[in-house]
Amino acid sequence: MAVNYIRKIISLYIPLTWEVTKLSILSAMEYRLSFIIQVMGMVVNDIGFVLLWLIFFKRFPSIQGWQFQDSIILLSIGTLSFSFAMITARGAIDLGKLIARGELDYYLSFPKNVLWHSVVSKTEISAIGDLFFGIIIYFFSANPSFSGLLYVLLISAMVGIILISFIILTESISFYVGSFEEAAEQMWHSLLGFSFYPQVAFHGVLKAITLTVLPAFFIAALPVRLIKDFQPGYFLLLLAFCAGITALAIAVFHNGLKKYESGNLINVKI
Amino acid sequence: MDSVNTIEILEYTKCKFLKYLEIAKINYLNNSAYLVNLISRSGIVIIRIWIFTQLYKVTYSVSGTNIIGDLTLPMVIWSLMLTQSFQIATKPMVSKLIEEEVKLGTLAYSLNKPYSYLLFNYFGFLGRTFVNNSSNLILGTVAALLLVGPINFSAKSIILGLFLLFFGYTIDFFISFTIGVSAFWIEDISAFMWIYSKGQMVLGGLILPLSLFPDSLRKIAEILPFSQLYYGAARTMVNFDWALFQKFFLTQLAWVVFFGIVSYYIFHKGIKKISINGG
Repeated sequence: MAVNYIRKIISLYIPLTWEVTKLSILSAMEYRLSFIIQVMGMVVNDIGFVLLWLIFFKRFPSIQGWQFQDSIILLSIGTLSFSFAMITARGAIDLGKLIARGELDYYLSFPKNVLWHSVVSKTEISAIGDLFFGIIIYFFSANPSFSGLLYVLLISAMVGIILISFIILTESISFYVGSFEEAAEQMWHSLLGFSFYPQVAFHGVLKAITLTVLPAFFIAALPVRLIKDFQPGYFLLLLAFCAGITALAIAVFHNGLKKYESGNLINVKI
Repeated sequence: MDSVNTIEILEYTKCKFLKYLEIAKINYLNNSAYLVNLISRSGIVIIRIWIFTQLYKVTYSVSGTNIIGDLTLPMVIWSLMLTQSFQIATKPMVSKLIEEEVKLGTLAYSLNKPYSYLLFNYFGFLGRTFVNNSSNLILGTVAALLLVGPINFSAKSIILGLFLLFFGYTIDFFISFTIGVSAFWIEDISAFMWIYSKGQMVLGGLILPLSLFPDSLRKIAEILPFSQLYYGAARTMVNFDWALFQKFFLTQLAWVVFFGIVSYYIFHKGIKKISINGG
């Protein structure tokens, strides 16, 4: 059952996602100036993060062993994983709104999986800027190499899947409680907020939060540790969390879909 | 005869001012109507202050000193709480609202009303910001008290800080308005909004107070507009320094005049550019 499901994902949904995303990017590129401004604007925006940590670590060179180079790795993984999630699955952020307003009907009428279709229906064009930035900034880390870049891309892809699953999970709560989109948005921003700072700073209750409700540990602290020092145990832990949260998100969505009430809206999409 | 004219002018000005005051009031009431949304948005201040407290506790302990750049750890946390509260209160950004008006075409309804579009947005911004700030500051103050305890605020530092905050918000409005009306030329202005927000984050004392900057960089940052938005007010409130206050105030005035002229000019140039399709 699970093997068939995975085989279907690899043979059908990954190529389909590629085609849908490619079409979205090509159509955005029709508005050339807007496309360039968005992508370059995001690169400039991301450089702001580097400047901030540059100033911070000039004043405080090391915080419990965490240095500027660690923040560079964190920025690289953060922007790459964010770009993977937002380029392929930007629609996930709108799920709660679609559910609360009864607007999922449009996706229900298609032959492909409802969750997949609604999630890949949008692409965040500016995230292409994050993708470029994430790759470039990696080469400013302590020991950059092309094989190392491939490894960073692999880890970032796993973190990207965790991000998408987290969004689906929180947005799907709207199926059960009516309207949860604003709270889900706050949780998403909080998760990103946690993953931005030196991870050694968190302890006590805050550390517990980063391990559970807002799993920043798995999208920031653990990936940085893995990039700096590969350990099979840590890799398996990340892989297990990635698989677990993905399975949970899919289950919560499909279970919630049984409770879905149509908004009876008639829209014509041309 | 002269006194009659003066009275008429005063009455006219009063009527005009009251109209915009009503706009501020409507925005205030509109934003305070959804209390749960308001509080949930302010919740982000608590989370950020919590993170900052842990980060700076570690940082101060590593440095082995109680005072860095004239600020103690509680002062840093209170300063960050204030700057974060002030900045979060400005959401949604004026530029975002104008961009939406341009994209949806509702700008047509706003432009033919008997008011100044610039002043309408300014007073609306002040009304929204006031209510958002109340919620942010209440929750932020509770969080700061629990996390690092109280610090000494004087009535003078609070009043003069609020004075700087008013001008800070005015600069923020003018910059955001200028970015917003640039949507008359290019429809998607998100990139400019991100860059402006990032400028606030790096040089506006939202994560790292300017007092902790290296000296040479701090001197430059203190005269840039980003530090004049909220940091000047927060710094004045947590650790009053008369010379610094005067410096902030004069710098703010210069930026208010500069961005006031720029926003007025860009708006009037842009208004000739737009074409509205009726129907």
